[in-house]
Amino acid sequence: MISKNLIRSLAILFIAVIEILHSARAGELNVVWMGWPEEYVAPLMKGFQSANPDVQLKIERIPFVQIMQTLEVRLSARESTPDIFMCDGSLTSSYAARGHALDLSSVIDRNRLTPSAASQASFDGKIYSAPFGSSSQQLYYNKDLFKAAGIEPPSADPSKRWTWEKVVEVARKLRDPKNNVYGLVIAQADRPFQLLPLGQSKGGVPISPDGLKATGYIDTKPFIDAFTFYQKMYNEWDIAPKGLFQINLNEELFRTGKAAMFIGGTFNMEEIAKYPKLNWGMGLHPYFEGGKPVTPTGAWHFCVNPRSKDLVSARKFVQYFMSEDVHSKWLQMRPYPPVLNQIWTKEKTYFDRNPGWALVRHELSNTAVPRPPIVGWREYEAILLQAIQDINNGVDVSKRLSVAAQLIDREMVKYK
Amino acid sequence: MFNFKILLTSNIWSIIFRYYSLILISILLMSPLFWVITSSFRPTTEIFSFSNDPSWKMLFPTELTLDHYQGIVRPEFIRAIANSLFVALATVVLGVLVNAMAGFAFAVFNFRFKNILFILVLASFMMPFESIIIPLFVLIRALGWTNSFQALILPEVANGLVIFLFRQLFISIPREIYEAALVDGASWFQIFVRIAMPLSGPTIATSALMLFILQWDAFFWPLVVASAPEYTVIQVAIIRNMTLEQSNWGIMFASTTAAVLIAAIPFLFLQRYYVKTIVESGIK
Amino acid sequence: MKIHTSTVFLFLFPAMLGLAVFRLAPVLIAIVGGFFSQTIRGDTIFVGMLNYTNLFSDDGFWNSLKVTILFNAILNPIQIFLAFILAMLVLKPSPGISVLRTTYVLPMTVAASITATIWNILLNPTLGPVNGILREIGIGTQPFFTSENQALASFIAIATWKGTGYWMLFLLAGLIVIPKDVYEAAAIDGATGWKRFMWITFPLMKRPLLYVLVADTAINFLFFTPVYVISNGGPNGSTSVLMFEAYQAAFVYLDHGRSLAISTIVLLIVMSIAALQFRLMRINKAI
Repeated sequence: MISKNLIRSLAILFIAVIEILHSARAGELNVVWMGWPEEYVAPLMKGFQSANPDVQLKIERIPFVQIMQTLEVRLSARESTPDIFMCDGSLTSSYAARGHALDLSSVIDRNRLTPSAASQASFDGKIYSAPFGSSSQQLYYNKDLFKAAGIEPPSADPSKRWTWEKVVEVARKLRDPKNNVYGLVIAQADRPFQLLPLGQSKGGVPISPDGLKATGYIDTKPFIDAFTFYQKMYNEWDIAPKGLFQINLNEELFRTGKAAMFIGGTFNMEEIAKYPKLNWGMGLHPYFEGGKPVTPTGAWHFCVNPRSKDLVSARKFVQYFMSEDVHSKWLQMRPYPPVLNQIWTKEKTYFDRNPGWALVRHELSNTAVPRPPIVGWREYEAILLQAIQDINNGVDVSKRLSVAAQLIDREMVKYK
Repeated sequence: MFNFKILLTSNIWSIIFRYYSLILISILLMSPLFWVITSSFRPTTEIFSFSNDPSWKMLFPTELTLDHYQGIVRPEFIRAIANSLFVALATVVLGVLVNAMAGFAFAVFNFRFKNILFILVLASFMMPFESIIIPLFVLIRALGWTNSFQALILPEVANGLVIFLFRQLFISIPREIYEAALVDGASWFQIFVRIAMPLSGPTIATSALMLFILQWDAFFWPLVVASAPEYTVIQVAIIRNMTLEQSNWGIMFASTTAAVLIAAIPFLFLQRYYVKTIVESGIK
Repeated sequence: MKIHTSTVFLFLFPAMLGLAVFRLAPVLIAIVGGFFSQTIRGDTIFVGMLNYTNLFSDDGFWNSLKVTILFNAILNPIQIFLAFILAMLVLKPSPGISVLRTTYVLPMTVAASITATIWNILLNPTLGPVNGILREIGIGTQPFFTSENQALASFIAIATWKGTGYWMLFLLAGLIVIPKDVYEAAAIDGATGWKRFMWITFPLMKRPLLYVLVADTAINFLFFTPVYVISNGGPNGSTSVLMFEAYQAAFVYLDHGRSLAISTIVLLIVMSIAALQFRLMRINKAI
């Protein structure tokens, strides 16, 4: 039977030896884009094609749930494709440090970008990703529930911003267990993106400036206090749905009238319109009494693979997709706060249609704090997320944050 | 211990008991799917409105809409169904043949390294797919097969579980049958095709279903290796409806319903292999 | 019997080639990978047993080992037992049996990620129908996936829901090929009910049963997608199965060496259990 094994070994060897590098022909770009609906992606891509007929675009839309993992598999192979890929802005440093993102400083002018977008796109002082659309968080509320209880709803006036303490006080009054109505629902109930601002509102700093040490930062008093407050919302005070971390389900709760107040992203302004039965209003993201207002922000960026076989076309792609024209079009399709300063003035009519935008602009200019642009954001986020889930479940806050900080430090060692 | 013999007599009570249990189990297993199916006919804004209050409204939609189904009858989705059907059927045809042959060899022949090779067959399905996905992906890239049907079909054709299944079956067939055929001058291949396979009706049906469902349910591998629009498979198409900001629940439920119903068809088709009459004629 | 090498070769080659290229080679690479580590720039360095020693000194790893074993120890017997009973119930051809049989297998046609998403909604304390019904009949709202105590049990429940009908098929295929005359002969000898089951049905079912045991064990040890979709290993690590740890190591901590080490451990555990199962089912001739 030696012949059988020999042939099998040869076959394996043969295939392994075939180093047929699937060379992307020059003039071809493989793009991995977010799984937004086809009708939002196609027009922009077509626009690029007609402006650049010599470049072939091969686009894949990957659903949000899977885009990170899929990219990890593809990028681990360290090949020339994908040429362009979309990513969460806060991962820019991670990709740059690992050699997956091309330096785009020569293609993108930092001054065109809003400050938070620019900081997210930077690593080591250079621009490594192209921001495509930002985000902000607002406090939505159910007008009918407030009216029925005779309570004055949250204000849209920045000088009258509600404190967390006030939010909880009102939420406890509006909580109705019999009808399954919650006082407050937070959209991304376990994500650092959503919840770091609570600790930051109390003056906390999430991680050391060099991004390598979490002990002495995330496990200090501001965060312990903030997360204890958070824990009480889901346990002792019972104003929010415990254990519910799915963004989509949390959104449904508010949209079907089961939440008096809701903290969620800007895009909700447009999405909620599809639920005619809901009478809603918009207020400002809360802050802690004695602290400063801090709101989450973040964006979808896209990066260029430095190993791409056609960097010339890739740069053209970046220039096209960073043009005012495209960003205006994108704004019309999806209500993401613009990352280009010009768009805010250029699209005045669009923003004037909905008074909510004034709130958004205010937050982005004054209170938005992007996530720390650290190299190990992926690890930091995941470890903290698990800690938050456990805190939501009721564990000792101080101990759990300590454990998380140690785990984070352990994982950051590789970036030293 | 319960006396199973009761189930096989035609005592009226046993018939009632049997059907009662079977229907109860069916209701239990089907109710989640039932909820999904009824929800697929509700307007998206209504899907969760009644989901928590037990009333007839939970089970039966107050407003009916075909919007979601109209929404999924788009070229993308139809394409995805066609792709998945093609990939699944190709895998079934190739897979049943190739794995049955190997299973037959392990069951009937004696050869050097047989045990070691069989252990390798078993090991092939005991390693998590997520661990081998990167080397597998690199291999597919090196062959130039990204975004192709080969990449979706070929890696799934040889299947350790199916080989194992056929081996168990073929071992159960008495050797005398093979020997008699050999004496008559039949070649092994003829024995395989004319004697062994016809006796394996239920096993062929089961392995066909295994491979079909494997490909019908496939999600991560197609996403990584072939997510271009021409090669998108159905599970990827379904998940595309969940984005960060909105979940088009209605469309997701409608497409899931469609996927389940289509997958039920092969099974209905293969039902006859599970009828207890083939055996008698076979062994004789 | 005279068997030509070339005949054996022909029968085995296509399948073994496929397995070797698309499964065994990657598995080998994965096992070897467990002895390496990657720098952030992608360079691989040999680290020997370091990944393994790190695992063995990590509480998280021991926790997931415990969770995985607990999960399997409860799930596998339940699934197989129920599948067997179901198979016996649907054995006799009767009006409507094929329709009923189809409904049992339908849960298997729903992909793992969709199953997880749907059950997450169904068992949700606020939005899900199950709790609505439980409240109505007086049992009260159950936290299910949001509780340390119930989460793992909830996963066992949905795995049972999905898989029982599927395994039933395999056992059914095995029951069908038992010839009627064997039962008739036994009846003549006076063997009925329990005796008939123990002395006739069960021994004749050893081979299909062994298959179901080994296959079910392998599949359940690799259980992952629903944990990823629903619970993220929580609450408090109560559902952190080994495969979830492996996923975290690879895709979150970007520590591929560690992930592959965990997968190798899973492989070894499953193979050992399979070996035991083969032993257990041994009869006089080869099984």
